[in-house]
Amino acid sequence: MGVLVVLALVAIQPLAVTSQTTDSLQLRFGETIAMLHQAESAGATPSEIGALVALLNKALELNGEALKLTAPDEVQRRAELVAQVDQILMTVENRAADLTALASQRSYTNKVLTYVWGAIAAVLGTILYAFTMSFYRKYRIKRTFQMRISRK
Amino acid sequence: MKFMSSQNRRTLIAVFITLLVVCEMVAYVATTPRPREQFFQLYVLGAKHMAADYYPNNDTDIRIGEPVTWYLGVTDNMGTAQLVAIRVKIGNQISKPPDDQQALESPAPVVTEFMRFLQENATWETPFVWSISDAVSSGNSTRILRLQINNETYQIQDSSASNGHNFRLIFELWTWQTEANAFEFGWTTGGEHRVAWLQVWFNMTSPRPAL
Repeated sequence: MGVLVVLALVAIQPLAVTSQTTDSLQLRFGETIAMLHQAESAGATPSEIGALVALLNKALELNGEALKLTAPDEVQRRAELVAQVDQILMTVENRAADLTALASQRSYTNKVLTYVWGAIAAVLGTILYAFTMSFYRKYRIKRTFQMRISRK
Repeated sequence: MKFMSSQNRRTLIAVFITLLVVCEMVAYVATTPRPREQFFQLYVLGAKHMAADYYPNNDTDIRIGEPVTWYLGVTDNMGTAQLVAIRVKIGNQISKPPDDQQALESPAPVVTEFMRFLQENATWETPFVWSISDAVSSGNSTRILRLQINNETYQIQDSSASNGHNFRLIFELWTWQTEANAFEFGWTTGGEHRVAWLQVWFNMTSPRPAL
């Protein structure tokens, strides 16, 4: 009985691997691209996104290799490749989530800093204007007192 | 001590408010991403990486086993990373090409597809080395049975042409749509659906006779 169960499991394994490498993995690839979009919207830099894209392309390559392994003696290798793809996708999902949080915080800080710098620039501009006007008035007073009345 | 007159104070407040508005507007413009046109580029180049030399010896008649080298490329100008697929289809003179207006794919049979994740503003180029592995003639009709693409052999269904003239390889750009959770032909930008596809014609006039 036990032998039959083991044989049944061995027979089922290739089917399970096949479905994992086609539809479900394609959906997972789609989910990861959605996570990348979130990270990009949050303000992740091209180099940060590039690292994740490189990992995803590696996963695509491994998935392509796995799909080519159709012989019965290649089942083990195929399962290993699918596991590697799964591992890479998990890594990308985790990193994308971390990146979204980090980039979001960074973008918020940068935005606030930019507006604060705007306010500081306005204050500095006003001080500069006040000093310029003060000097101009002093200059005008000085010029007025230096005036001489002469008969034409 | 009176530091400044009330008129001067009012002037300074007015100057400060004006400068504040101007500076914050500059800050807003600097921190807001500008809208830009979103599109993909799809191209096929010949053996010398140019839009020429698509056929060996400039002869559009491809023989069995004769390798043809092209380069397929896609550039992502969508502003975000994308998952793209180039679907390769084989058609003949009467095959319907993709419909640009309706954004419909060609009904020609799919030979294979190449998938790739693309970073924004990045170009992906891949060699496309293909040859006809097997083709048979039956009366006036020539059928391509097997194609080899990048060292992979593909069985071809329903691909025949009169006297082997006017076969074509059609390349369609498909993109992953996150809302639909599926690949779709073309892409959507600004509420408009756009497509990109290419086709290259060839002849196959020296098939083996059908058994």
